[in-house]
Formats: sequence, C-alpha cells, structure tokens
Amino acid sequence: MNALDISSITFSYDGAPVCALQNFSLAVIDGRIQALLGPNGAGKSTLMRVITGQLRGYSGNVSIYGTKMPDRSALLSIGYAPQPISLYTALTARENLRFFGAMAGLSDEEIVLRSEIVLEQVSLTDHAEEPVLTFSGGMQRRLNLAVALLHSPKLLLLDEPTVGVDPQSRNHIYDTLTELNAAGMTILLSTHIMEEAERLCSSVTLADRGEVIFNGRMAEIDNLEKLFLEKTGRGLRDE
Amino acid sequence: MALIKKEILILLRDRQTILLLFLMPVALILFLSLAMEGVWADKLTGRKVHLVIVNESNSPKANLLEKKIKSNKMVQYVNRPRGMTDDQLFADGKAHAIVTIPKGFEEGDQPVEMYFDPVIDAGYKIATRALITSITVEVVMGIDNLDTVVAGLLVEKTKPNRDFPTPLQQNVPGYAIFAMFFIAIPMSIGFLKEKKDGTLQRLFTYPVNTNLVILGKIVPYYLINISQFILMMLVGVYIMSHIISFPFHLGEHPWHMIPVTMVVAAATTGFGVLVAALARTPEQSSTLAATGAILMGVFGGIMMPHALMPIVMKKVAMISPMYWAHQAYLDIFLRDAAFVAILPKLIVLTLFAGICFYIAGRRVQWM
Repeated sequence: MNALDISSITFSYDGAPVCALQNFSLAVIDGRIQALLGPNGAGKSTLMRVITGQLRGYSGNVSIYGTKMPDRSALLSIGYAPQPISLYTALTARENLRFFGAMAGLSDEEIVLRSEIVLEQVSLTDHAEEPVLTFSGGMQRRLNLAVALLHSPKLLLLDEPTVGVDPQSRNHIYDTLTELNAAGMTILLSTHIMEEAERLCSSVTLADRGEVIFNGRMAEIDNLEKLFLEKTGRGLRDE
Repeated sequence: MALIKKEILILLRDRQTILLLFLMPVALILFLSLAMEGVWADKLTGRKVHLVIVNESNSPKANLLEKKIKSNKMVQYVNRPRGMTDDQLFADGKAHAIVTIPKGFEEGDQPVEMYFDPVIDAGYKIATRALITSITVEVVMGIDNLDTVVAGLLVEKTKPNRDFPTPLQQNVPGYAIFAMFFIAIPMSIGFLKEKKDGTLQRLFTYPVNTNLVILGKIVPYYLINISQFILMMLVGVYIMSHIISFPFHLGEHPWHMIPVTMVVAAATTGFGVLVAALARTPEQSSTLAATGAILMGVFGGIMMPHALMPIVMKKVAMISPMYWAHQAYLDIFLRDAAFVAILPKLIVLTLFAGICFYIAGRRVQWM
C-alpha cells in the first residue's frame, strides 16, 4: 500500500486566474523518502496544504494509507512541518510540544515521554525551557520538525525544512531524517535544494506551474540540477 | 482546555498588554476620579464658598455679622495672607469672594460690600450673594434664624437622584468597559499574527474541530474581560472609596452585575473578532481597535457623563455600545433598577455582539 496517493488534483485559489494545481498526481511508496521539487510557484506548498486538509474545494482524490481525505483520523498518520516556522514564540520549546501534543490527542504521560524523545532527536533538550523567541533560525527549524514528529506519524510531510538554517543545523536535520526513514518513516520532502534531494531521497517528482512534469527514481538521474533546469527552464520565477 | 491555556500563557507573557488591559483603567479611574471630584462636589453636594471678611466697622452688629458668616456651614473662612491684594487672592484661587463690612454699617449709613472673583460660576455667585444677604437681614432685623421664619412660606422638595452618578459610579464601570473594549487590540493582533506565521493553519492539520479552535481563541479573552471588570470593582470598592470623598454605592441588586458583565464581555470579544476580520495586518488592527474604542468611549458617555451631555449628544451616544453597557451598570448602581429594566440594554449589546460575530464569520478566512 502506498503511504500517499494523490490522483488528478485540480485546485485554484479564489479569484486566481490560473490553477495552483492542475491534474496533479503523485504516489509515495511506504518507507521511502520522496522529493517534491519545483521552482517558486510550482504548487508544492499548495499540495502540502491540500494533503493536510487546510485547503478544500479541490477536485480529485487524496488518500493516506488507503483512507480517502478529508478524514480527521487519517490526519494523525501525518506529521507536517510547514515552510513558515509555525511555533508560538512566547512559549518555551516544551510548552509548544505540550500544546501541539494535546492537539494531536496525546495523553499527558505520552506528551512528557514523546517530548523528551523528539527534543533529543533534534538536539534541543538543553533548551527545552527557553522561549522560542530566543532561539536561532536553525533551532526554530529543528523545533518545527520536532512538533511534526511528536505524535509518531507514519508519514512525514516537510515543506522546505532547511530554509534559512546554517550548515550545522541543516546537516543535523538531514541526519535526523535519515534515521527516521531507517526506522520506517515515509517522508515527502518539498524542496528546491538539489543537494538535499540527492542526499536524502530515493525518488523524485518534479512539478512546475501546478503540474507534474517528471517522475522517476533518483538512481536513474545523472545530474538533478541539469534535469531541473532542462524541465523548468532558466527564466527567473518571481511568483 | 489546551487552547485556552496556551492563549492565556501567551497573553500573560506580554507585559505591555497586561499594562494596557489592567493598569490603564486603574490609572484612569484613579486620576480622573480625583480630577473630577470638585466638579462632582459642585453638582451633587455644593461647594463651600471661600470668603475673606474685612470688618472695618468692629461694631457689635458688624462683629455679629462676621461671626454668623464665619460659622455658616456653606462658608470656608479664609485669612488674608499678609500683603496679598484682592486680585492676588482670586488669581491664586485662595478666595471666591471678599465681604467688606464698612465703617457706618451699624448706623445703616454704609451697605455691606461684596467683591467676587471675576471668573466665578454665575450660579455660584447668585447662591453666595443670597447667603450673605439672608445673614445680613438676620443681623440687621434682629432675627435669630431666617430659615425658621420662611419655613412656613417655602418648602423645598427633592426627588432622589437617579440621574447623576457619583465619580466612582461613573468612572469605575465606565473605564472598566473602556478597558474591556481594548481587548480587541491583543485579540486581533494575536489572531492575525497566528495567521501570518502559520500556527493557526497548523492547528487545522490536527484532528480538532474548527469551531473548538475558534472558541479556544475567544474564550480566554472573554475570561480576561471578566477578570478586568472584577479587578476594577475591587479597586473601586476597596481602594478608591477610601481616596475619594464620595462613597461607591453598588445599589440594591449588585448581583445584576453578573449577567450584565457576561453580556458586555460578549460584546467586547465580538468587537475584537470583528477587528481581526476587518484588518489585514496587526498594525491595522491595533489602530482600528484603539480608535474604535476611544470613539465609542467619547460618544458613549464614558469620558463625559451622559447626564451632562447636550440633548443632541445624548441621542448620538446611543450608537455606541459603551453607552448601553454603561447605562446598564448605572441602572444597577444608581437607579436600583429591576432586571426587567436592564434587559433592553442587554438585548442591544447581545445584538451588537451577534452582528460582530456574523460579519467576522462571513469575512474571515480561518485557514
């Protein structure tokens, strides 16, 4: 069974002249790390928001482990780290985890236990009681990931998880994702950093202007950046 | 519960907001009640007239007149500081009038002279002149007490005051309501900030009910509104009533404050949600909320007692929800009104809250 099946999704924002997603299909095989690549305006973030139920009014189907979305219980199979760092900066790292854990329906004991584990995974145990406001960009990114991991999801959706972080934090995130995948977690990684996709992913979906323009295995691609530019063109994208 | 706890934690860590919501109204109640105490004293109990008496005659009748004026309960006798002229006395606010009993008064050759501060209120001047005239008549005619003579001719009847509140009856509920409407600032900023940084959208990726999320954002501010009102009442009853010379009567049915405060808090949170829905940025929302609250306060009889407003402004006041909220509290404190009499005001406030929530619900995109 695929972890994620997306078939023929078409979606447009209110008043937008063009579709953000056009007949978009994608399958993520259970246990894999799949890259979703595309320039700005490709529809990557929109797709993430469709999968997680934030956007409605689309045509086509989204299934998580065989459950057709929107389905509330299926949301617990997903861990989602959005591109903007979506944390409460006035709260400490532990308070953020406690809150999002409660939102995921974890018991108090589970929240305490899982918070320790995910803080350890992202190397923030020593900063658990500090307000997020005082964190560096890299630390905030790592906590953003920790929140997504808190309720032990089977499928992890990451929207540009290393934007604006230093090489140390980036490498730490890469190592964490590799470990999680080795432990059986499926990951859909939306990025436009070629090195990131090459290092972590076993398969690639390339999207542009809301459509899938390439699907393939990473092992079959000689030069990902060259392929990306061939498929999407060299013109600047200001969307 | 986690939603409410999170919201309250965030608010409590925002010191500026706490100052705005809790200390601002306390400061306003304290300073404005003290500043306006004199105006209220004139209005409700009458102010003592500060008199300098110059007795040039020193005759028995002149001395009796001086004694009677000095001992009158409406008079505050003032000793003229050495070398100070009449004009200086007025300019420094030490006296309102100077009464001179001239040589020849005993013989009836010279009348008593009164010299008033030129900026004195006309009504106040008339009352002072009538007082000195009646005491002078008593002395000249040899009457012990003129009031007892005219008692059979003139009877004064008054109705109990149901219109003009004491400073604390005006300012405590007034500035509590004012501060409660200021909840719209942190409420709308918090909402827009969460939308901007994506935390609100992130909540909807969890299996939580959308209505619960929205309720979780409203209930904490509703509870803070209730706390604001309780704090202002405690300040009014236990602190201000010891500072101000007027008591703070809570009326015969103080428990009516419970439903009134609950409805007022619904109106204020409704205003907050409306501002959050209309504004596009946190900066816009704080300007909109603050301007809206101040205008409602100006028109609604918070900053100037409704009873003192001209007729036209009294009508205009009705467009402000603060007017209905304030009048509901004055019904309790001042008019001892039955709940049925307060109910129409609560209906207006409930309608205001309903309209705010309805417009916000139509405009706002939660996701």
